[in-house]
Amino acid sequence: MTEFFEIHARDGPARIGELRLTESLTTPALVGDRIDDAGSLWPEARETPAGDRDSLTVLPHRALPAGTPDEVQSAFAVDSPEIDGPSAAVLSSETATEHGSDAYVLSDAQGLVGHARAFVEGIVDVKRAIPDDAALYLPGVATPANVALLAYAGVDLFDADRAVVKGTQGKYLTSDGEQFLVDLDELPCACPACQQSVDEFDREDCAAHNGNVLRARLATVRARIRRGRLRDYLEGQARHEAWLTAAFRRFDQQYSYLEAHAPISRRNELLAASEESLRRVEIQRFAERVTERYENRFSNPLVLVPCSATKPYSESQSHGQFHDAIGFRAHTVSMTSPIGVVPQELECTYPAQHYDSVVTGEWSAGEIEFVASVLEAYLERNDYPRVIAHVPDDYRQITERVEESLDTEFEYTVEAHPTTSESLSNLADALSGELKYSKREREHNTVRAIADYQFGPAAGDDLFEEILTEGRYPKLRVHSDEHLATMVPQYGTLALTLAGAHRWVASDAPTKIVEIDEFVPHGSVLAPGIVDASEGIRVGDEVVVRGPKAFAIGRATMHGRVMAEASRGMAVDVRHVEER
Amino acid sequence: MSQPSPEVYEAGKGMDAHNAAMREIRARNDQTYDPHEPTRVWVDEDNTPDGVRDSLTIILNTGGCRWARAGGCTMCGYVAESVEGGTVAHEALMDQLDVCLDHEREHADEPCPLIKIYTSGSFLDEREVPAETRRAIAEAFGDRERIVVESLPDFVEHDRLADFTEQGLTVDVAVGLETATDRVRHDCVNKYFDFADFVAASEQARDAGAGIKAYLLMKPPFLSEREAVADMIASVERCAEYAHTVSMNPCNVQRHTMVEELYHDGGYRPPWLWSVAEVLHETADADALVISDPVGHGSDRGPHNCGECDDHVQTAIKDFDLRQDPSVFEQVSCECERTWEAVMEREKSYGLPLAR
Repeated sequence: MTEFFEIHARDGPARIGELRLTESLTTPALVGDRIDDAGSLWPEARETPAGDRDSLTVLPHRALPAGTPDEVQSAFAVDSPEIDGPSAAVLSSETATEHGSDAYVLSDAQGLVGHARAFVEGIVDVKRAIPDDAALYLPGVATPANVALLAYAGVDLFDADRAVVKGTQGKYLTSDGEQFLVDLDELPCACPACQQSVDEFDREDCAAHNGNVLRARLATVRARIRRGRLRDYLEGQARHEAWLTAAFRRFDQQYSYLEAHAPISRRNELLAASEESLRRVEIQRFAERVTERYENRFSNPLVLVPCSATKPYSESQSHGQFHDAIGFRAHTVSMTSPIGVVPQELECTYPAQHYDSVVTGEWSAGEIEFVASVLEAYLERNDYPRVIAHVPDDYRQITERVEESLDTEFEYTVEAHPTTSESLSNLADALSGELKYSKREREHNTVRAIADYQFGPAAGDDLFEEILTEGRYPKLRVHSDEHLATMVPQYGTLALTLAGAHRWVASDAPTKIVEIDEFVPHGSVLAPGIVDASEGIRVGDEVVVRGPKAFAIGRATMHGRVMAEASRGMAVDVRHVEER
Repeated sequence: MSQPSPEVYEAGKGMDAHNAAMREIRARNDQTYDPHEPTRVWVDEDNTPDGVRDSLTIILNTGGCRWARAGGCTMCGYVAESVEGGTVAHEALMDQLDVCLDHEREHADEPCPLIKIYTSGSFLDEREVPAETRRAIAEAFGDRERIVVESLPDFVEHDRLADFTEQGLTVDVAVGLETATDRVRHDCVNKYFDFADFVAASEQARDAGAGIKAYLLMKPPFLSEREAVADMIASVERCAEYAHTVSMNPCNVQRHTMVEELYHDGGYRPPWLWSVAEVLHETADADALVISDPVGHGSDRGPHNCGECDDHVQTAIKDFDLRQDPSVFEQVSCECERTWEAVMEREKSYGLPLAR
């Protein structure tokens, strides 16, 4: 039960929270000066603290530092009393379990921070063991360099203790690491403590500076989480220390942990500027769904085209030219790093419409491997009578590799560059004699493709076999005898109506259900009203809300596990509701 | 003994866990030792109630501590230095004594008036040192002024001490009390006796005409620097009533111990030498000689400051041992004192250690 901590926004495992003290604290943040420590039980017995709304009371603890043998950990476990006020229970990564407190203090953090494998495994274990909506505090470890990674992992609370202690040791901290004060020729910072000459700058100033920078970096982290762009920031910032880079790479190997926390869609740009971008959940999930859920419904030839900087692709000049040459006679699939392949129906679907990447015409081995493997998997699942590769030279190392591994031949139509008139006329010529598909077929296949992507394999046929589409792409509305769904252009997803929701429940496609108590939700469903929720629900997913008194459809604002566990916060943004 | 209660049950549970863990850790040690050689022997000088004396310190290689065989103390690696098989016969112990006397003849100008005998266990435990051997050793050193023998409180008995007093020796029993706080001794050190047992042993010793030298351990695992310092100041004051000398020693990281496990995984740092100085300074008025002999000072595994000032502070501590003058600590200073102050102020037992 987390009465005094609430999560307001999420960006993967990272979150913006509110520690509801008398003067509330927006997290991730420094909590060191708001702590009331009820004391260690190692040297003496302690009274149960009364609790205090002004501070976070750390319950009496017998902290187990890194390296404590397992049997000693379990023998010295303590119970956490309930108190009237915000409380934090101390636990280690080995003994982590629910204590009913608002926050959890990790006693072996010193042994985890600085060691990528131990850190990632320890944090994932702890986060799985404690309620998702409780705050996690790592004492004595935060620095300006590591705090973004710690927040990315899902840590909410920090203190300035290590930064201050390092200041007293003459270590000058910045987000790119630490330097000995004596080695500095000038002060590379504009904080108040640094408004003096480097010669007069002493260790007290250094401690003050370290605290200032740590607070500033936490503000950066909070801003990044709110914008859904902490990962992009970390991919760059983590380069400065080897263990930070190793840790976030290792986090990418904890796919199920990250995937559970990653939203289905964001409004914000996703910048893929490093090799690690390929390992991002959003990228991996898109590739997985395109190759395992999506199904091509066109009988025309396939034209592979390069991606464009403008998104969605169809609004770019180059794709306009491809479109004119193709003239509805082929199914267009764009090849791109880091997304892999994007069928034309999914060009608006996150992150296809939202990413930006660094284009130099040079592909890294990792990019080639990734795009080739996605294209190969795509072609194994989808049959085409012909494959025309309308791609520039630098793409051929990928297409040729796929031709070889699938033992097939593509037709190449590009001379020099895809948008030269010669290339475009080659493309048009290659398609001469092919039949055109209709606008209706294109629109129907688009909503079915999005349904596959969103709800599972064959969902497009299950839900939308007999339909009409209205509106102008990308604002398509799906009808049968009644309105079923609307395409949301900024996410490339479908928003269902009640009729659509009933079809979903009746279909073979797995339905994501939120079971609620006896009430009729209006506007939103809050976590305490939830009885149970499908484990697979992700932030941004369509969810059916069902209870004794109501049936509703809406968008999830938490993932499934939190819905089932949380005692605070908005869980579903309800779009339509009916009483039962 | 006290009545069974939840606390006792808890203590038993903790002890079982500590012992199981320590047995497992100690089992990784596969070294064995020659029963005819002492573990260590050296000549030094020590402060005694009668003044500073040249001393011969002997660490006898006996079967080792009975308690350590059950698991034992979380910081103690000396059991690793005991012999394979567990017991050392009288003849072998006498061989060890000869080696020690040879060492003294070689390194001291004349026989040392002060003899100190440790066994990594209890010299007065007859399973470790047979009565025959004890008497022979008492005779061998009968012409000296004072002898210190190490023992757990259980074995402090009038008759055993009489072997020495009958030789005309002033006798001190060195008792590893570690701390006056039972809770810390039990749960952090995993030493089974109570402060009351130490008091009882001191009465036994007094009846036999012997004195008590109490050994305290600064910063067992699980305590913050501030808690460790507070525990030592309180402990020195409490045991000064029962001991004429208090030797307050900072914990170091010994091989094959739980402390080493914690240290290795980043959960333990030996105390700062500033903490040792702080305790000596704060207890200078105590009604006992208060001394400290930091082992491995300045190293990662021993008590240390920043690396720059360790030798200076160690020198001040040794100087204090001989002169008991707290002003020696005013002679040493270093920029790292500010770091130590920040650690004392900020380090929590749930965030150990805050600085290396």
